[in-house]
Amino acid sequence: MTAVSAVEAALAQRRRRWRPVLWLILAAVLIALFVGIGLIIRVLQSGTAHYSDDDQHFRHGSIGAEVASGIPYKVWQALPVLFPEEFPAGDYSSFGFLYDGTQDLPIGISKRRVSGVDLVWFNCAVCHAGTYRESEEDTPRIITGMPAHQLDLHGFTKVVLGAASDPRMAPDSLRRAMADAGVGLGLIERILWNLAVFPRLREGMIERASRLQPLLDRQPDWAHGRVDTFNPYKVLEFDWPTASLSEEEVVGASDFPSIFLQGPRAEMQLHWDGNNPSLAERNLSAALGAGVTPDTVDHRSIERVADWLLDLEPPASPHQPDADAVARGFDIYVRDCASCHGWQSPDGYVFEGDLLGEITPLDEVGTDPNRLHSYTQDFRDQQVAELFKGTPYAFRQFQKTDGYANAPLDGLWLRGPYLHNGSVPTLADLLIPPPERPKKFLRGGDVIDPQGGFISPTCTTEAACFDTGVRGNSNAGHMWGTDLEQPDKSDLIAYLLTF
Amino acid sequence: MSDPIFEPLEFQNLTVKNRIFRSNISGRFDNEDGSLTQTRINWECRFAAGGVGAVISSYVPVRMDGRIIAGYATIHRDDFIPLWQKLGEAVRAHGAKYILQLSHSGRQMDIPGVHNMHRPSPAPTSKMESLHGFLCQAMSTGEVRQMVRDFAQGAWRAREAGLDGVELHAANGYLFTQFLSSAINDRTDCYGGSLRNRARFLLEVIEAIRDKVGRDFHVQVKLSATDHNNVLPWEGKGNTVVDTIQVAQWCEALGADALHVSTGSLFPHPLNPPGDLPLDVLAVTYDAMISSGVSGFRNFLLFRYPMLRPIFRWLWFRMKKGRPVEGVGYEEARLIKDAVRIPVISTGGWQTASSVRDALGHIDGVSMARALVANPDLPQVWAAGYDLPPVPCTHCNKCLVGAPKLPMGCHELARFPSRDAMIDQLMEIYDTRATLQIPEAS
Repeated sequence: MTAVSAVEAALAQRRRRWRPVLWLILAAVLIALFVGIGLIIRVLQSGTAHYSDDDQHFRHGSIGAEVASGIPYKVWQALPVLFPEEFPAGDYSSFGFLYDGTQDLPIGISKRRVSGVDLVWFNCAVCHAGTYRESEEDTPRIITGMPAHQLDLHGFTKVVLGAASDPRMAPDSLRRAMADAGVGLGLIERILWNLAVFPRLREGMIERASRLQPLLDRQPDWAHGRVDTFNPYKVLEFDWPTASLSEEEVVGASDFPSIFLQGPRAEMQLHWDGNNPSLAERNLSAALGAGVTPDTVDHRSIERVADWLLDLEPPASPHQPDADAVARGFDIYVRDCASCHGWQSPDGYVFEGDLLGEITPLDEVGTDPNRLHSYTQDFRDQQVAELFKGTPYAFRQFQKTDGYANAPLDGLWLRGPYLHNGSVPTLADLLIPPPERPKKFLRGGDVIDPQGGFISPTCTTEAACFDTGVRGNSNAGHMWGTDLEQPDKSDLIAYLLTF
Repeated sequence: MSDPIFEPLEFQNLTVKNRIFRSNISGRFDNEDGSLTQTRINWECRFAAGGVGAVISSYVPVRMDGRIIAGYATIHRDDFIPLWQKLGEAVRAHGAKYILQLSHSGRQMDIPGVHNMHRPSPAPTSKMESLHGFLCQAMSTGEVRQMVRDFAQGAWRAREAGLDGVELHAANGYLFTQFLSSAINDRTDCYGGSLRNRARFLLEVIEAIRDKVGRDFHVQVKLSATDHNNVLPWEGKGNTVVDTIQVAQWCEALGADALHVSTGSLFPHPLNPPGDLPLDVLAVTYDAMISSGVSGFRNFLLFRYPMLRPIFRWLWFRMKKGRPVEGVGYEEARLIKDAVRIPVISTGGWQTASSVRDALGHIDGVSMARALVANPDLPQVWAAGYDLPPVPCTHCNKCLVGAPKLPMGCHELARFPSRDAMIDQLMEIYDTRATLQIPEAS
């Protein structure tokens, strides 16, 4: 067709010439639009899975720690691929994390999508779920609520902090590792990660390492089943420089406690040192230790766990001691122990005793003082002044104490090694004078010991060897029962094995 | 002591009664076939009656492919000679001379019309015009030589019509400028490259005219002293005044009788005609030119939407800074005058008698268009001793930007007591009293 004018012909020719470019531009715009909308949809996605079963919620539900403390799920999955030398088992069981087969994440690790990125981090179960076996050949049985005595949290923390500055965490190698771990990035995710995740990931990890590593450098190994509750809290939550911590307070590792039957514990002095009688405040404080912040905490989730724990019974003891010995031991226990610890009846644990839940001064109990000293008056004052300030959750009841609390002994068979710092392998060892108690032994075993607790072989030089001579690990103190005659001790142990 | 404005100006072959020239300006007065009308005669006589020494015709194409706007009279046909003769007689009846401006648009064709809309314009280059995107096609060397002959033929027709002279429109971006300008001419033959080669077309036209009409017919050349071609900042600047002085000397050597000095390598140009540029008026008149060039619609948008106007305003007005409106090209005309012996006429914003008198100490005449459109009797006002007329031209340029769509004349409403008065003046020239004829039955 002839154009109406030369200008129209030129414009038509120009349109023809530019048409491929315009199509390309249109395609680029459409792709950009598609990607942009995809990104927006992705970024707007936030939330976490909800579980109908309380136990599953305890094991895998989020308490809000991922937002401020977590790492991306895909990085979590890639770390064993990137650092095979640190993960000899190929997954997080290398550090004692437990897998129950329902998820690809261990118990105690929850997932939450934050602005389109799945983040993972701790929940309550990371420190309060463990296993036991009746014999070496037995299959480990997972018990939620018991101490995570198998967990090497210190080792895990060191690996994560070390990874922050490792060249293998560079985006390219990390991307390859994610693909190898079966969690590669899709198109939209790749853009999101390039724009937002990769630039912040290492920076965040290095920043956290810069605050926590100096503290770890001043501390001995926490050991399996133990954690320093308050000192990391000081440097991470309150941004205190490690150098500001006094020598007296800087070591504070102690055992993960069991958390059965919280209802009867209300109004008792909670925590090893009994620094707070409020279950709610103790729970929130523990959640802060797991990584939540006042801004990210999921109160509903934590309260659901707390309600479930109010009457969570420990499983019945598998020990089958001689009934006569148990009866004799009961008499001894009532005479020498029950006023501080309550007692076990055939119908369950009886939370009665004049001194139950009260604090025994350090001078009297004589156990390792480091955990007590790690909770300082300054720290308590800042807790009360700042945390959850202006909300109904504000901390009010924390107090600095001078000893350790007399704890109920329900589920005692799952709570070895004993004392607050787990420095005595078995109940039998607890009934002998401290100088005769095992000085070095391996923690973390889950085969129950007929003497109470778990079989904990003596050791000498292994890296994981728990040395009671190291600061914070002292097995001194708690002299009650050590002066009993051996038959009485045996009877008392028989009774204690029924707890 | 006599007033220098009203002293006669003697050229080699022509004497003009004073130093005032009506510069080339036109409206769409004429027929589609290029024949002139009574309206044009009325238009030109308005200025002759006002007292100018000479009327330089509007832009008059020597070929139909050189029109800038259909509706301007042409001199491309011998049978138009009697029409031009009539016009010449009418002007001379008022004591003025009539100089016909021989022109060709080249690529600067504002409204192509039915004759030209289907083809690019012949030009020295195939690069489209920069501001409007007018299309063009580079002429072959043979076509250039034919163009030379067509100009000579146009001059012959002017002489045959008894007109007083011709002016070659070698300024303001039309065909001659496109050859002369270093920013436009990209030819590789003998008409491109060096200044001498770029001037070859103009000089050959002068020679051809002299061959055709002899030495005793007035031939003057209108030149742009400086191109200032970079109205769009990415365009080259083009010729300097030094280049133009050389061209002027070559013109003189080949027999040009006078030089008429303007400025700018496109039209309109920020410096020609000087003054304002009413973008709000362009918003309602430029639509007539949208389809003329590939950039027409872009420009229309720049005029149509006030929020976009600052873009064009910046482009246009940045060149005006520090330059006067009246006598904007005077200094360059002086430089050229100093280099030649033939008379030099300056154009560009003249309106004040005292300024003109001062200028005439160095140059030989001034030409005006807008000042005379506003006040055709300006020479009489000056002769009466006034420096300015009571209601002078504001240099608003509304007459300029209305040209593609509105009747030529003053559109500055502020100069009139009422809108009706303005329209009455615009309509005066259409009072043709034509003798209407009944076409013969076939």
